[in-house]
Amino acid sequence: MDRDVFLARVGRAAMTGLLPTSPEVSASLPELEPADLVGLFRDSLQKVDGVAHGPVSGHGAPVVVSGIASGHGCSTFMAWDDLPAPGVAAELTAEGLERVDHDIEESSRLQHQLGYVPLSLGVTGALAGLADSGSLVLSHGPGRPRMASLVPEVHVALLRVADLDRTLSMWAHNHPGAAAETANLVMVTGPSRTGDIEQQLNLGVHGPRHLHVVLVS
Amino acid sequence: MPEPVTFLGRATALVGTHEASAIEMGARTLLKKRDRAAAEFPVMEEMRDRARAIRLHALSNLDRLLGHFADRAEEAGVNVHFAADAEEASATVARILEETGSRLVVKSKSMVSEEIELNEHLEASEIEVVETDLGEFIVQLAGDTPSHIIAPVLHMMRQDVGRLFEEKLGVAYTEDPTELNQIAREHLREKFLQADAGISGVNIAVAETGSVILVTNEGNGRLTTTAPRVHIALMGMERIVSRWEDAAVVLEVLARSATGQRLSVYTNVVTGPRREGEPDGPEQVHVVVIDNGRSEVLAGGTAEILACIRCGACLNACPVFRSVGGHAYGTVYSGPVGSVVTPGLHGMEPWWELPYASTLCGACEEVCPVRIQIPSMLLQLRAQAAEGGRLPGWLEKGMSRYTQTAVSPKKWARAKRWASLLSAPISSKGWIRHLPGPGRGWTDSRDLPRPAKESFTDWWRSNRGS
Ligand code: SF4
Repeated sequence: MDRDVFLARVGRAAMTGLLPTSPEVSASLPELEPADLVGLFRDSLQKVDGVAHGPVSGHGAPVVVSGIASGHGCSTFMAWDDLPAPGVAAELTAEGLERVDHDIEESSRLQHQLGYVPLSLGVTGALAGLADSGSLVLSHGPGRPRMASLVPEVHVALLRVADLDRTLSMWAHNHPGAAAETANLVMVTGPSRTGDIEQQLNLGVHGPRHLHVVLVS
Repeated sequence: MPEPVTFLGRATALVGTHEASAIEMGARTLLKKRDRAAAEFPVMEEMRDRARAIRLHALSNLDRLLGHFADRAEEAGVNVHFAADAEEASATVARILEETGSRLVVKSKSMVSEEIELNEHLEASEIEVVETDLGEFIVQLAGDTPSHIIAPVLHMMRQDVGRLFEEKLGVAYTEDPTELNQIAREHLREKFLQADAGISGVNIAVAETGSVILVTNEGNGRLTTTAPRVHIALMGMERIVSRWEDAAVVLEVLARSATGQRLSVYTNVVTGPRREGEPDGPEQVHVVVIDNGRSEVLAGGTAEILACIRCGACLNACPVFRSVGGHAYGTVYSGPVGSVVTPGLHGMEPWWELPYASTLCGACEEVCPVRIQIPSMLLQLRAQAAEGGRLPGWLEKGMSRYTQTAVSPKKWARAKRWASLLSAPISSKGWIRHLPGPGRGWTDSRDLPRPAKESFTDWWRSNRGS
């Protein structure tokens, strides 16, 4: 249907409809008692079956990541190019993990994606962390593939302590342009889960089964 | 268009079954989680007020917001399509699939796709459509329909799933949910990575940025919108807010109300196809904005129901839903929200009975994150049905007091006051068993306002068939 015709019909309907009146959306969000964001983030992440590490210094981060990788017996990994701590990919390669390249040529899209099936580890940064829910905010773009936090069995994210905020609504309020700055912004709250069969919790249904967050001070 | 059914007929067949008890159990668990999540969030009530204001504001400016959304989305490289009805929406999807040469399509859970019966429409073509939400995948394999808007296989036991996988996927029988989950993961992973196109719904769109937001816990929504070359998002036209921060408020109350989570595992914000230099993501993004009866609802007395964010809490809280499950309602939208939405979208005539499928106990409104006044809309619809000479047979039998009261909002309000209806001990568990005969007049019992001191049995004796 033509857009203008469609919208004109909607406009007429909105004018005749009997919607209850409602106050304007106020400029500020309801306030929460202040809290220690690092402690709160750790607790919240644990509640959603994720594991928090650190805070560690940037130099300490590569060892922590490779420790997690060997703990899960990972043999292949994909990593974002610009991580908040240097040397992570080099450390993993030195430990014998094979790095899977993440650039997809349009002509070889299918082959490339099928190659992701045995991927065991994905390492990403994070634009922000949300302490109240234990969430990571991932902003995808050049050098920051979406697949890295999606297809592996294990996802490790490096998060700067300074990038912690309280709730999604507060973060969005402080970053009103965030949604449009990238083609794909994702909030990740714990490992992939389902309760579809008899409400029984199961992790790793389509996405990663394990989520580790390394806090970097 | 779903097939009209008599609610009572279906409900009667379901009461006391294995399916109904599975629903009862599942819905109670979900409600408990919701209550806990609401209680632990110190600003839950303020956030609900805010979410309500945001949604009502969006509805009263819907044409403007949709226009903005389309402009911004197109700037980001999205193809925006407008579909007046189910037929046009399905045809639009079919055309996009054909133009992009898509053969294998993965789908993440989308209620509007069920509403427009997209799968049935596409079946006629050579295209293979695979549902990827674990629950929806099971429903598709079984040739069944979902029984709950957020938990599609709430009606099935693990043994049912085990037998189904054994039969349809050729795997050894297991009833261990972890193993069943693993079987589905492997089967579907191959499909994801080979699919030409992904079809998703839209939980909420943002006018100011042209973004569509999808939430899932499993990650199938992200895979659907990342792996294939083409992403098609189906969006009920009311699923929109002005700003990104408004969407964030809605997402917080949605997750808490649906499953008691603080946020769903994956909140996926898509603003156009993959950009210059990006390593992955779809080459094309299409958004199909669907009316299919919504503008008529918006123009009428039940417009407020369009503020719904599909959390499913009202289903879990509803004693009628919990006793019979989603299949009794005959369409994709079940429970209290469905009893208002379905007659609105598909017409009063075949669906006039649904507004009676309620005890008007008020539990739905109490848990609704956007505080939709469902009971008063049900009353309004009943009045409309009664004006059209429509009264369920099970009510006509001597229910004069009821009909006079229940169809007039004013009288109802008075009745509510003196009958202390809301505080009446509506024992939700097993209430149906207290009735004489499972099929006869079960709904009316709970429908009637009754004086606080009168026992239900006394009331029943003095009113039934008098
Ligand atoms: S009507 Fe309210 S409680 Fe029911 S599904 Fe919609 S938002 Fe949730």
